[in-house]
Amino acid sequence: MIDVLIGFYIATLITELFTTRLYRLLGWYALNSLFLGLIAIYMGAEIGDNAMIISGSITILIKFMLIPYVLKYIATKFNIPRNINPNLKVHYSTIIVPVILVFTYYLVNPIIHNMAYNANYVALSISSLFLAMLLIIEHKNIAPKIVGFLSIENALFLLAISATKGMPMLVELGIFVDLLMLIVIVNILFKHQGDF
Amino acid sequence: MLIIFIPSILLVILSFFKINRTLMAAVSSLIIVPAIYIFMHPFVNEYFLVDKLNSFVLLISSIVGVGVSLSMISLPERLNLNEEAIKRFYRFFGIFWFGLIISILANNMGIFWIGLEFATLSTVYMIKVKDSLTAHKEAWKYLTVGAIAISLVLFGIILMYASAKDVLGEDAMNFYALAKNAGKINNFLFEIGFTISVTGFFIKMGFFPMNLWLADIERASIYPVAALFSGILESAIMLGFFRLSKIEMLVNTSHLVTFSYIYAIFTLFMVSFLIYRTKDFVTTFALSGIEHMVLITIFWVSGGYFAALLHLAAHAFLKPALFLSSSMLEQKRRYSFKGALKGYSNKLVPLLISLLLLGIISIPPSPMFFSEIFGFKAMLDVAQDSDYFLVMIFAIFIIMLLLSIIFYKFITIYQEALYDGDDEPKKVYKSEIAMLLLFTISLLALILPQVFDYIEGIIK
Repeated sequence: MIDVLIGFYIATLITELFTTRLYRLLGWYALNSLFLGLIAIYMGAEIGDNAMIISGSITILIKFMLIPYVLKYIATKFNIPRNINPNLKVHYSTIIVPVILVFTYYLVNPIIHNMAYNANYVALSISSLFLAMLLIIEHKNIAPKIVGFLSIENALFLLAISATKGMPMLVELGIFVDLLMLIVIVNILFKHQGDF
Repeated sequence: MLIIFIPSILLVILSFFKINRTLMAAVSSLIIVPAIYIFMHPFVNEYFLVDKLNSFVLLISSIVGVGVSLSMISLPERLNLNEEAIKRFYRFFGIFWFGLIISILANNMGIFWIGLEFATLSTVYMIKVKDSLTAHKEAWKYLTVGAIAISLVLFGIILMYASAKDVLGEDAMNFYALAKNAGKINNFLFEIGFTISVTGFFIKMGFFPMNLWLADIERASIYPVAALFSGILESAIMLGFFRLSKIEMLVNTSHLVTFSYIYAIFTLFMVSFLIYRTKDFVTTFALSGIEHMVLITIFWVSGGYFAALLHLAAHAFLKPALFLSSSMLEQKRRYSFKGALKGYSNKLVPLLISLLLLGIISIPPSPMFFSEIFGFKAMLDVAQDSDYFLVMIFAIFIIMLLLSIIFYKFITIYQEALYDGDDEPKKVYKSEIAMLLLFTISLLALILPQVFDYIEGIIK
């Protein structure tokens, strides 16, 4: 089941890279976060870790429901351009994405050999980190860059739950608070400037 | 412990009401009281650790905070800021302090990261207090690059946590527990995590290859923000490096020395080249901040803890003082004593600024003179004990050569400040004189024998 969920997680992240409309990008980010939350809940239930189940539930609440809704509200309020064509042409992205997925596996081979558990998930989470960075790089507009940063957070969350079977609860909660703070800052920056 | 957060919480609350700048400066200066208390009473628990190292960094940071608060009294006159902008500045200044205190006192890598991220995000708005397109753009740039750098730090922390989770459980997040059990953790995974985290720290401080991003931001933002970056935020990041590198020293010292020296030489090469080429003095100050962080890094990894900490403290006082004095002396993007202070009867201000400017290039009796003497001695000791003596000596020679280029540039700035500039009188406020006096007295205190002894005893 986790394999299927991680498959959907990666698939939604890849779709984010090819999306050219802002609201659709937010939708794919929401779905990406939903699968991430489900992975955490499923993994937590499997190992009997209640903290991980709570983290997964908070992920769904904040990253699947709250953040995409707030970002959509900000985008509407400040008339942020909805057309977000990536600088990178689609045919190049089509080549780069599988290259990242395959080569990350070889790149992190020494790391995953040192992992006692979930080695493949660690490789996939590091690939998703690179894919999220690609999302930041390939866009000129600021809105998709923010979604790229939020996707980096998702990748790190996946890395944390797969490589360490979850971080301490306090740290997880602190990271969520930081994410909310980021959204507040983004709101203020847009309020006083608009997109450029 | 919770008392230390009161001034920052008060600042946030008061920022919602009509602003009295003297009151706000007094409230933010209150931070020094609990900082002194913590300095005298170290403690450790699961989440926080107050030892000599971080209580020293907190004390320095709170002195810098007082200096910045003083200069902020005259800030709106200098920049024509409206009430709403001032309110928001103080609000984020309070949040910045809150995050920073958490970060400095954390005994947990995760909490350290959360505090640092909090402080980073709060500075984003402070950058764009100045109402210009450049400041807006730099605020976005800071948000993007800063976020990537801080993500790298978290990435590394997760790997370091994974390296020790099986042995230490949730204590694997704990700096103290990690250092105590360094022999039992998965070395390979820890070193990979350490390298990634430190690269994130270095990017955040403007090391190679991101040398200009921080300098551009400091140029575009108002001077108190540049002072907060150079005097407080960089010290907190450096503290994270100190904590992690002490664990890495127990895992593999030679990897740490090699990595740090190579990174330092690349960075210093780029920075000295950029400083030589730049015409703007604020950019020069910002780039020289990177140079000093490089020196602190290599002094520390060479075992020159006294030199590194003295240099850190001296830089934390000198650089903010120079940034804040820029608002008094800036004339057509140049630093000028001649015109800017014409008509001002008190000759104390140019004298103090001259001393600070010469102090930053380690002219004796600047504390930086002593820190560099002891730092280079530590580097020579490492070279002597190394199997690669000639390579190390060559590296030290290159570092000294690059430093001499920076020295030359600063002498040029000083000479231009003395002899160039138009006769345009500019007002100097009492709060700014108080700020300069505070930083000068703090610097002089650093060269007292008792302070030398204390700093030497921080890391035994």
